[in-house]
Amino acid sequence: MKVSEMEMISPTSVHECLHALTDQQKSSRLIAGGTDAVVRMKDRNWMPDIWINIKGLKELRYIREDASGLHIGPLTTHTDIVKSELLQSKADVLTFAAKEVGATQMQNMGTLGGNLGTASPAGDTIPALYVLDAHIQLSSLHQIRSVPIKDFFIGPGKTVIKPDEMISDIVIRPQEKNEIGIFEKLGPRKAQSISIVNFTASLKIKAQTRQCIGGKLAFGSVAPTIIRAKKCESMLLLDPLDEHMIQNIAKVAWKEVAPISDIRASANYRKDMASALLERGLYRLMKRWENK
Amino acid sequence: MKNIRFHVNGKESNVQCPPAKTLLDVLREDLELIGSKECCGKGECGSCSVMIGDEVICSCLVLAGQIENETIITVEGVGLRENMDIVQEAFINEGATQCGYCTPGIIVAAKSFLNSIEHVPTTDEVKTALGGNLCRCTGYQKIIKAVQTAAKIQNPFYAVK
Repeated sequence: MKVSEMEMISPTSVHECLHALTDQQKSSRLIAGGTDAVVRMKDRNWMPDIWINIKGLKELRYIREDASGLHIGPLTTHTDIVKSELLQSKADVLTFAAKEVGATQMQNMGTLGGNLGTASPAGDTIPALYVLDAHIQLSSLHQIRSVPIKDFFIGPGKTVIKPDEMISDIVIRPQEKNEIGIFEKLGPRKAQSISIVNFTASLKIKAQTRQCIGGKLAFGSVAPTIIRAKKCESMLLLDPLDEHMIQNIAKVAWKEVAPISDIRASANYRKDMASALLERGLYRLMKRWENK
Repeated sequence: MKNIRFHVNGKESNVQCPPAKTLLDVLREDLELIGSKECCGKGECGSCSVMIGDEVICSCLVLAGQIENETIITVEGVGLRENMDIVQEAFINEGATQCGYCTPGIIVAAKSFLNSIEHVPTTDEVKTALGGNLCRCTGYQKIIKAVQTAAKIQNPFYAVK
């Protein structure tokens, strides 16, 4: 297959798109923002017979709230997320993470659904979706199923999405009034870089104190998929989060992450940095809490 | 081959091309708008920046089949020699260009950014807005200064933050 021979269809509804995905005569792939798909096409890794262009599917670009939680359409761009007042107040971690994805151009193009489908262990928005207990809705012509984010990824670049399925909704829980989040990222430069390690936290804290009464911590880029730091999470509840306590949790984080060495950093460096980002992140989070 | 209709710099364009050809190649090869440049080809450098609607994007990562009915502005649409934009004049006056390869992309990104704000941006704001545009020769001081100068000229009553 040559790039010049590839076809493209642009379905005008989700239903039409699912029909196209079901047709297995020719190989096909979805394309939305293109920040990943086109790069892979240029590398000759993704060479479908047909591109199914869903960029214009307005019905999958929304941010709204109902009784079941906050709903984000898979075609919502990072810029949409950063600008959303609803998410700023009820899912602050996700807006912080979206702000650190690439730079202006990538935030304007890249979509949340694309970030999930690409399934990079370094994807910046994914740890935020972990701490917000995201459920990914997958639709095919025959069924709609909801997959908790912890079961969604199988490995680097791999998800449970079947060939005839597409992401049709992303549901997260709204943060509570006493809940506050933070996103920390380490990359070679500020803009446009892929995370060497990233860290996300969302903690519930008892009013007027530094006592955490429930919290979730997630690391990116330190394992084949995003991981929750469960041991660190259980430590959060033991004592008020003072300097000493935060340092102790950071030491446990060093042991809890399981990174590999690759082109971007060595495993040991990643462990040190996971620990450092947790420490810095929790300091900053508590500082914001006190000033709130 | 596909017939693709869209608007570029205020004019309607009809192009016959493979749908998986990049927008950048369509602009340069089919429409002879050679201001936008290819450099990294993977969305890291910003040399190919153009606006779709009012948002700046990398035209090297958009496929021709995706731009049907879209409105696109390239650096030629921001301004040419005879009708130069304030941003372009500011870049000349501040000496914010050296080899010039990254300049068209930076002009488009700066224009889109200035359209979206109503004050003279701080250095940090300019750095964030232009974070996706690399320049390998001048250093960024003069570029940042030029964007701030353009904002001041654009509206002398803008608040300096």
